[in-house]
Amino acid sequence: MDDMTGRGREKDPLWFKDAIVYELPVRAFFDSNGDGVGDFPGLTEKLDYLADLGVTCVWLLPFFPSPLRDDGYDIADHRNIHPSCGTLSDFKAFVRAAHERQIRVVIELVLNHTSDQHGWFQRARSAAPHSAEREYYVWSETEQRYADARILFLDIERSNWAWDPVAQAYYWHRFFHHQPDLNYDNPQVLQEMLQVIDSWMDAGVDGFRLDAVPYLIEREGTTCENLPETHGVLKAIRRHIETRGRGMLLAEANQWPADVRPYFGDGDECHMAFHFPLMPRIFMALHLEDRSPITEIMERTPDIPVTCQWALFLRNHDELTLEMVTDEERDYMHLAYSTDPRARLHLGIRRRLAPLVGNSRPRIELLNALLFSFPGTPILYYGDEIGMGDNVYLGDRAGVRTPMQWTGDRNAGFSRADPERLYSPVIMDPVYGFQAVNVESQEDDSASLLHWMKNIIRLRKFFSVFGRGSIDFLQPANCKVLAYLRRIEDDVILCVANLSRTVQPVELDLSAFAGLTPVEMLGYTEFPIIGAAPYFLTLGPYGFYWFELQRSRG
Amino acid sequence: MASTGLNSSVRAADASAARADIAIALASYNHARTIGPVVRAVRDGLATHFGSSAAQIVLADGGSTDGTREAARAATGATELVEVGYSAPIASLTTVPYHGFPGRANALRAILETIRRLSVRAVALVDAGIETADSTRIANLVAPILTDQFDYASSYYVRHRFDGLITKGIVAPLFRTLYGATLRQPAAGEFGCSARMADHFLQQDVWDREGAQAGIDLWLASEAVCGGFRVCEAALGVRGMVHHETTDLSTTLAQVVGSVFADMEHRVGVWQRVRQAVTVPLFGADERPEPEAAVPNVERLTESFRLGYRELREIWTWVLPPKTIIALRRLAEAPSDRFRFDDLLWASIVYDFALGYSLRLMPRDHLLRSLTPIYSGWMASIVPQIQDATEAQVDARLEQVCAAFDAEKRYLISRWRWPERLRR
Repeated sequence: MDDMTGRGREKDPLWFKDAIVYELPVRAFFDSNGDGVGDFPGLTEKLDYLADLGVTCVWLLPFFPSPLRDDGYDIADHRNIHPSCGTLSDFKAFVRAAHERQIRVVIELVLNHTSDQHGWFQRARSAAPHSAEREYYVWSETEQRYADARILFLDIERSNWAWDPVAQAYYWHRFFHHQPDLNYDNPQVLQEMLQVIDSWMDAGVDGFRLDAVPYLIEREGTTCENLPETHGVLKAIRRHIETRGRGMLLAEANQWPADVRPYFGDGDECHMAFHFPLMPRIFMALHLEDRSPITEIMERTPDIPVTCQWALFLRNHDELTLEMVTDEERDYMHLAYSTDPRARLHLGIRRRLAPLVGNSRPRIELLNALLFSFPGTPILYYGDEIGMGDNVYLGDRAGVRTPMQWTGDRNAGFSRADPERLYSPVIMDPVYGFQAVNVESQEDDSASLLHWMKNIIRLRKFFSVFGRGSIDFLQPANCKVLAYLRRIEDDVILCVANLSRTVQPVELDLSAFAGLTPVEMLGYTEFPIIGAAPYFLTLGPYGFYWFELQRSRG
Repeated sequence: MASTGLNSSVRAADASAARADIAIALASYNHARTIGPVVRAVRDGLATHFGSSAAQIVLADGGSTDGTREAARAATGATELVEVGYSAPIASLTTVPYHGFPGRANALRAILETIRRLSVRAVALVDAGIETADSTRIANLVAPILTDQFDYASSYYVRHRFDGLITKGIVAPLFRTLYGATLRQPAAGEFGCSARMADHFLQQDVWDREGAQAGIDLWLASEAVCGGFRVCEAALGVRGMVHHETTDLSTTLAQVVGSVFADMEHRVGVWQRVRQAVTVPLFGADERPEPEAAVPNVERLTESFRLGYRELREIWTWVLPPKTIIALRRLAEAPSDRFRFDDLLWASIVYDFALGYSLRLMPRDHLLRSLTPIYSGWMASIVPQIQDATEAQVDARLEQVCAAFDAEKRYLISRWRWPERLRR
């Protein structure tokens, strides 16, 4: 039976299936000490905001000591806190405060690589060849090994090998050259990582987002991606956290769904994995005004173990990645969503949700309605709940990682520092700038996007069918309309969405539910009883309905 | 801190006790004057009605200083007395709940844990402070469990028409509409339950929840109903209680209504699916005359409402939509002889307060207390309507109130699912 409130979920090992996840960089959220950088005490101050929004899980981007050449994914010390974010005791206080509000905490676990400033690498490069310390990383005397592995950042790196003058050898790196890959053929590396996991779980952490998991192991003659040995490492990590009696693993594997499927194992590997290809196709379907990109990718999505879950998102801290689309689809997406070449990065589009959809409130609502009703756990990117904008003039992905806009005051209420001290300028353009878009003003406006988001989150949480139920797509003749059924036990939810900018009629074959009454879920409004004939609905531009199919009162 | 019930006396009792069919549990706190007669009535009830069944009496005392335990021991006679220790949270000692029993949730938990160890088939929880104890009460609480396979018997007392109006006008209509069971006094305090019901109660996460000391009785009743257990009512006659230091109406209302609202939050998945109520069977005869009670001062209640409208209208606008505020204004301006609180209006107000409580639109205690003048207004309206009515007419009138709660349920669900922000 659907619980709707979370009662009893505190102890539910499948809590992540019902979660509302909120992704945020600590340094971008709230600065408590006026140094221009967000920190854990600041984040703790804002936990009530997140609880009020309805968030049940916070996913923190890297906050570890780091030279910050890759936004913190270049970790120099896995067990500590970057000084600008606070201290370990600040972190623990934050976790306690989050738990008091029934908010779980998920942090990054960057398994694949470290910063070249990490103590392990500094030790390794000076250690004797083939010694245990040297073997923490992958070394070679030539650049010719693993030649079949693609270079991920082709626009920046020319090779997966980099020369280290201290070690007098090449080291392997799948990402930037300053991020040497760890060597999981060395059992000590895994042991180190398990100790890292233990230390954070001891601090109260509830789960880990596993960064770049396909690349953990290298084998000659392969692409060095998704290797069986890599799954062996992940299973070992899963076994380890099972001994702790809790903990959740979320895999980042930017692959086709069928290739991601093995990361769930038989329910003995990762609990969750991102569904990367869905996100661009949602945007494509919206622009094409045609449901087929969505239905096709969902048809290609394999079943996963019942104890596992897809993680769904509209936008995140990276560019809107277009790796998992065809070349033609990519061209279409660039023409549709990034005619400004400055908005393009790597193969994707570095924009936030609101600018991507032309700041159209109906489109933002429709996309969120899809996000919250698709099978998986929704992940919100900080600031998208108020329709924050971005800054394409900032380098790399910094444009979508600007300070959270709390008020219309100086620095968007993010920090008391002088503006020039901020880690990043706040958004100041007339449409998305902090004076126009901020939490304070939207809290005061009962018709704001923020209030709409609170309500849709609240509604979603009432129905576990969204997080746990099955999905079946209907095939109405009008391709501008996406219709699907979500089911769990006796609960049947019908979702209908108009992907177009104009009013659309649709006839749905609901004959299997003849005699039931569709009750529109937002307003609890009864619609006419379903009969044998096609069920006729009219949807306004970008309109959507969620219906409970109820038995008539008897 | 919650008691585990594992004190030395219980262990000693466990070791020596034969398996009992029935346990009668008493929760006491400074009940020296009444507990003796209550225990004797329990003994008589057990002997008269369940003579062949093995029975035990379980006493959970919250640290009485007036000789309650000694009085209980003296009255026990041959029946074995199992004493259970528990401690009341300090907060419940400083702010005694409306039922006058500090640490009640802890006491019930300790009792149920003990019951589980004693492996009884049926347990009845009896008030140690009752002045009208008799053997029939025990029978009516235990028999449905022992002989008719019910899991939970909710007490039903004969009450004066003006007595317990919070229950009649808010708790019972809400309970029936939300959970689909016509329990008329779901938070009354005495109940009977089966072993599997007791097990189920112990597995729930209600015991340490905020507000448990005041709300536990209602929460257990709703757990029984929502958990799909077989539930009935047991007629217990007139409830003559030793009166504790009385809490004011506002505090009582806040505690009782707050308990229901808190339960609503935790059972959204149930009550939004319940479409109609099922009538719960009543065990035992309901033959006693209506007890005495003072007639509420209607003029004072009306004035309280009018004063509340003047003073608290601003607060109400946080939770009540404009049309309701306008309706309340009309009511405040109505002459006394035409002062009639519409049932649908009353139901929608209770629902709006429930939503405001859930959304934490203001400190919950403030919100709940601000309901007091409106409740006074409702009382001022209902009292003249039932004052000279026959019992059947009173029942019919209260049924109309319940029907209004049923009718407005769609309003509640729609507002709950997509709340409208009324103020900023």
